[in-house]
Amino acid sequence: MLRVRLSVSVEALSAVEVRKTYHTRGQTPVEALRGVSMTLRKGERIALLGRNGAGKTTFLRISSTLLLPTSGSLEVFGSDVIAHPEQVRPLIAVVPQEGKPFFHLTPREQIYAYLRARGVDREPAKASVSEALGQMGLEAVADRLSVTLSGGQKQRVMVATVIATKAPLLFLDEPTIGMDPFARREVWESLRRLTVQGSTILLTTHYLDEAESLSQRLYVIEDGRVLVEGTASAIKQQVGGSLKVSVANGESLREQLSSFGEIVSDGGTIHLITSPERINDIMAIAMKAGISATVGPVTLEEAFLRIVGRSIHGEEV
Amino acid sequence: MAKRCEDLALSLRWGGVASFAATEARVQLHEWLAVVTGSLVQGALLVFVWVWAPGLLSYALIGALSYSVFLVGQRVLNEAAYIRVDHKLNELFHASNLSPESYFLGMALGILLAYMPPMLFLLAFLEILHPLSALAMATLVATLLAVWAFSSALGYSVSTVFKDMKTIWPYSSLLTNLFGIVPPVFYPLQYFDATLRPVAMLVPTSSSVALVENAAGMQALAPAETILGTVSLAVEAVILLAFGIYMARRAAREG
Repeated sequence: MLRVRLSVSVEALSAVEVRKTYHTRGQTPVEALRGVSMTLRKGERIALLGRNGAGKTTFLRISSTLLLPTSGSLEVFGSDVIAHPEQVRPLIAVVPQEGKPFFHLTPREQIYAYLRARGVDREPAKASVSEALGQMGLEAVADRLSVTLSGGQKQRVMVATVIATKAPLLFLDEPTIGMDPFARREVWESLRRLTVQGSTILLTTHYLDEAESLSQRLYVIEDGRVLVEGTASAIKQQVGGSLKVSVANGESLREQLSSFGEIVSDGGTIHLITSPERINDIMAIAMKAGISATVGPVTLEEAFLRIVGRSIHGEEV
Repeated sequence: MAKRCEDLALSLRWGGVASFAATEARVQLHEWLAVVTGSLVQGALLVFVWVWAPGLLSYALIGALSYSVFLVGQRVLNEAAYIRVDHKLNELFHASNLSPESYFLGMALGILLAYMPPMLFLLAFLEILHPLSALAMATLVATLLAVWAFSSALGYSVSTVFKDMKTIWPYSSLLTNLFGIVPPVFYPLQYFDATLRPVAMLVPTSSSVALVENAAGMQALAPAETILGTVSLAVEAVILLAFGIYMARRAAREG
């Protein structure tokens, strides 16, 4: 019994072999998820990365009780998401993709109304509203109708609405879309603070810097499958090294350099991902040929493009 | 199977109805101009009746009340669809401890509250023209509540089916005309074709008007018509309300 309780408290979300196939009359069924498994431990911030249509939102909607899977099992803090959504819903809060606040409520009214609908008492709700407005930098517009706010401000209202709940598990589908860089960082800071306080966060994003800066682990999803899972640095390692050597006008060296790692051409420049211990040999070849070369760290974007690109071309990952 | 059990569960969860109704009423009242303009159709029809047959104005006022309550349901249709299709706010609420039935009923109740002032104005006007007895007033309130339950559930259920607003608008207009204009709502039942009178007693809006007018002594219904109107209105309201709750639960999680 104690063991069960411990496992419940540690795993915020556990998904096993989740599949989803959409059937539309007269059309070929679409397999949106082809057996996704993942585990979120309590207090973690996890990002789902993937191209449009990769299956990120489908997974997030299934996990947050908004969509039924075709098969598989999911638990949120030990409660069965499929059989008992009513047990799961009080524990979660969701920022839907492209969600907008009530246009004819002010941000203050919207957040308060949502907390009251969730059963929060008046005074604690008021306190949480002020806190969330402050965290999202919305005090100046707190009493203006949301219809008059910019797109980024509306998005901040949505995030503020959800973080005000302090729910144990938050699902955020592209939470910072349309926000300026300052607002994005305010959101990141708020989300970090929430996980320190014990909440767990699963987010999808197209911003790779956001995924890298905010999340402790990443899942790269493509075509309904998890291709890679791990920390950003571990994922970058998986593409063959931690450093990228760029050789301008280096096509003549392609054959010589091919043994050091995978080469990608970009105009006349060739890029080679490799490990630190091979840098000296590569630079020696470039210098001998009188060609300049630069060295920098592999970015998550490069790792993402290579991992997903290899998957698209049918190679084993 | 689990979903089926969830859909068919008999236990209802009403927590949050009042707070969501207050939210919805506030949303509507921030658009007070829409509340005013949304009540102008009834006003225009009353002017038309007043010019054409002033003696029928009391009948038309009772009809306008029934029509106004029916329109609440059509506003539920538009609001539920708008929140779901355009704002995705339904997902915010469905993934929370606000139950789907509370979401649906809170929305319907909130819109009813927001549109209450124009209805009270119509009622006051009716009381001046034709004061209602206690029985007639009780009949009015009871039948209007039944029309509200029927129309709100119909509106919410229809809203869950469509995926874009443009497709929804014609259905809202169709339902409004089908239930509010064509049957004897703004005109007395005796003007309706005698063979079609039982049909009128099966339509919630026209049966509510006929029952109130009967209770107010404005027209006499045959006992069979009274029974048919009362039973059909009650049964339709209960069945539609149950169906609305079922659809609300279904819509809270897509299959």
